[in-house]
Amino acid sequence: MRNATTPRLAVVLVLVALALVAFTGCSKKPPVVTETAPVEQPVEVVKPAPKPEPVVPKGPDYANLDPSQYGIEDVFYGYDKYDLDDAAMGVLTTNARILKEAGVTLMVAGHCDERGTIEYNLALGEKRAKSARDYLVSLGVPAGNLRVTSYGESRPFATGHGEADWAQNRRAHFERP
Amino acid sequence: MTLAFALRTAARALVLLLPLLPAVAQAQGGRTEVNIQHTQQAVLKTDARMGDFRALTGGRTAQETAAKLRQIVGNDLLLSGLFNVGGPGYKPETLPFSWAIEGTVEGPASGDWPLTVNLNLLTWPDRQLVLTKRYRPAEDQVRTTAHHFANEVVRMAVGSEGIALTRVAFSRGQGNRRDIYVVDYDGEGLIRLTANRTLNLCPDWSPDGEKIAFTSYRGGQQGLYALETATGQVRQLIAQDGLNLGADWSPDGRELLISLSRGGDPEIYRITPEGQIIKRLTVSPAIEISPSWAPNGRELVFTSDSSGTPQLYMLDKEGAGKRRLTFEGKYNDSATLSPNGEWVAYATREDVVTQIVVMRPGGEERRVVTDLSWRNSEDPSWAPDGRHLVFASDRSGASKLYVFDVVEGGFRQLTFGNEPDITPAWSH
Repeated sequence: MRNATTPRLAVVLVLVALALVAFTGCSKKPPVVTETAPVEQPVEVVKPAPKPEPVVPKGPDYANLDPSQYGIEDVFYGYDKYDLDDAAMGVLTTNARILKEAGVTLMVAGHCDERGTIEYNLALGEKRAKSARDYLVSLGVPAGNLRVTSYGESRPFATGHGEADWAQNRRAHFERP
Repeated sequence: MTLAFALRTAARALVLLLPLLPAVAQAQGGRTEVNIQHTQQAVLKTDARMGDFRALTGGRTAQETAAKLRQIVGNDLLLSGLFNVGGPGYKPETLPFSWAIEGTVEGPASGDWPLTVNLNLLTWPDRQLVLTKRYRPAEDQVRTTAHHFANEVVRMAVGSEGIALTRVAFSRGQGNRRDIYVVDYDGEGLIRLTANRTLNLCPDWSPDGEKIAFTSYRGGQQGLYALETATGQVRQLIAQDGLNLGADWSPDGRELLISLSRGGDPEIYRITPEGQIIKRLTVSPAIEISPSWAPNGRELVFTSDSSGTPQLYMLDKEGAGKRRLTFEGKYNDSATLSPNGEWVAYATREDVVTQIVVMRPGGEERRVVTDLSWRNSEDPSWAPDGRHLVFASDRSGASKLYVFDVVEGGFRQLTFGNEPDITPAWSH
C-alpha cells in the first residue's frame, strides 16, 4: 500500500516543486516587466530540487510565529478568580476557531498579580491556564495541542502596583511551547 | 570547675524562663531586662564581655585575624539573642555573674597560614576558665572558626546548638531569570548556585545540608531538582505534568513532601529523594499546596482552599487525621512549624497586604508580627534554634530577606541590593 502511493506522491511533489521553481524563476527574471524590483538575486534555476519540502506553506507559518501574530488573544481573570467571564469566553471562541484551523501546539501559561503568596499564585495561575485550556477543548481544539504551565506572579506583564496593572497580570497567555 | 558547673546550671535555669517572655518583652518596648511577673526577678540574657584578642606572633595577618575573630564571635553572640555583648571595660550591673571571651592568634614559622588560634571562655571578673578551643584555620576558614566557637559558647549557655554555622538559601532575580543563592545566617558569604537563564524557586535544605531541592523551569516546564551544595551538580528529581512545587525534606532526610498537579488539581505527595512517589496524601478538587513537615516527622501542615479560601490544615503522614488550623483570615499559606514544635509561622493576606503570623500549633497566642509598614511579607522559614525566622518583605521596594526574633520581637535585614529576593529557607 505504502509502496504504491509513496512514489506517486513523490513524483507529484517533484513536479509541483519544479513548476514552482520555474514559475518563481520566470517572474524574477530580469528587467522586462519591472515595477520596483529592488534586490536582484542571481536566480538559481539549477537545483534539480529532489526535496519538495518548502513547497506547501499556504497559510501562516504557525510554528514560527508568536500566537498573537495570527490572531490568538490572551484572556483575563478577576481577583483570586480562575473562572471565565463572557469576555474571556468570547476571546476563547475566536482562539478555538483559529487553533482548529492551524493545528498548532501551544502553551497556555497562567499568570497572577503580585498580591498573595508565591506558591498559591503558582497554583492559581495553573488553574487559570487550565480553565482556558478546558474551554478550548470543549470547543473542539484537540487536547493534545494545548500544554499548560504557570508562572504565578513571577513574570508580570505590567510592573506597577495598582489595579490597572494587576488586571493586566491576571491572565492566561498563549505562547509557543 | 564547680563554679563553671554552677554557672551553667544557673544559665540554663534562666533560659528555661525564655518562653514566658514575648508578651512582657513587647510591653516594655524590647528592653532586654525584663521582670518576670510572679517573681519580680530581673534577668534574662547572660552578659558576655568581649575581652582581648591578641596576636602573639605572626605580624599583621595574625593581628587582623585576631580582630576579625573578636568581631565575628561578638556578633554571633549578639545575633543568638542570648547575650548582652560588651567590649573591654563593660560593667555588668544586672547579673550576679558574667562571661568573658578572649583569644590568641599565632602565626606559622613561615608564611601567613595556617594560623594557630586559641579561643577561651572565662567567668568574669574572677576569670575561671570554662571552655578553651584550639583551631588551625586556613585563610578561608576564619569565619567558620569564629562561628564554631560561638556555637560552643551558646551550647555552654543553653545546652543546645547555636545557629552561627547555618545558612539561608533563597531565590534572587526577576522576569525570566531567578537563581538559587545561599548566604550565611549573618549576611556574609553570598554565593549563587544556579545559572540556567530560567526561573528557579522555593529552595529547601536536606537535613544534612548537602543538598538543596528547588523548583525550576530549566526543563521547559516546572520540575523539582536537587543540587549538591559542595559541587553545584544538579539532578532532576521529578518533573510531572503541571506543578512540582514546594518540596520539604523530612527531618530524617529519607523523603520529601511535594505538591504535584499531574494534569489535575495540585495534591500533596510524599516522594523519595530519587523522585519516586511513595504516597498521595490528599484527594480533593481544590488546591492543596505548601506542605511542611512537623518536627516529629509524623505529621505535616499544608494549605488547602477546599473551604473556598486558602487555609492551613494538619494531616498525618499517611493522609489521615486532617484538621483545620486557621479560622482567622481569608487567605493563609506557607505554614511552617518551628523545629522545637512550639510555634507555627505562616503568611496571611488582609486585603492587599500579606503579613507574617506566629502562633502556637493549637492556634493560641496568634500575633501578626509584621505591621503595615512591612508591606508584603511572605514565606517564613525557621532557624534551627526555633527562635529566629527569615522571611521576604518588599518594605524597601524590591523584596529582601529579613530575620525576626520571636522572643524579643526584633528584626534585622539579611540581604541587600536591588534585585528581588524571595522564598528563603534556613538550613537545619
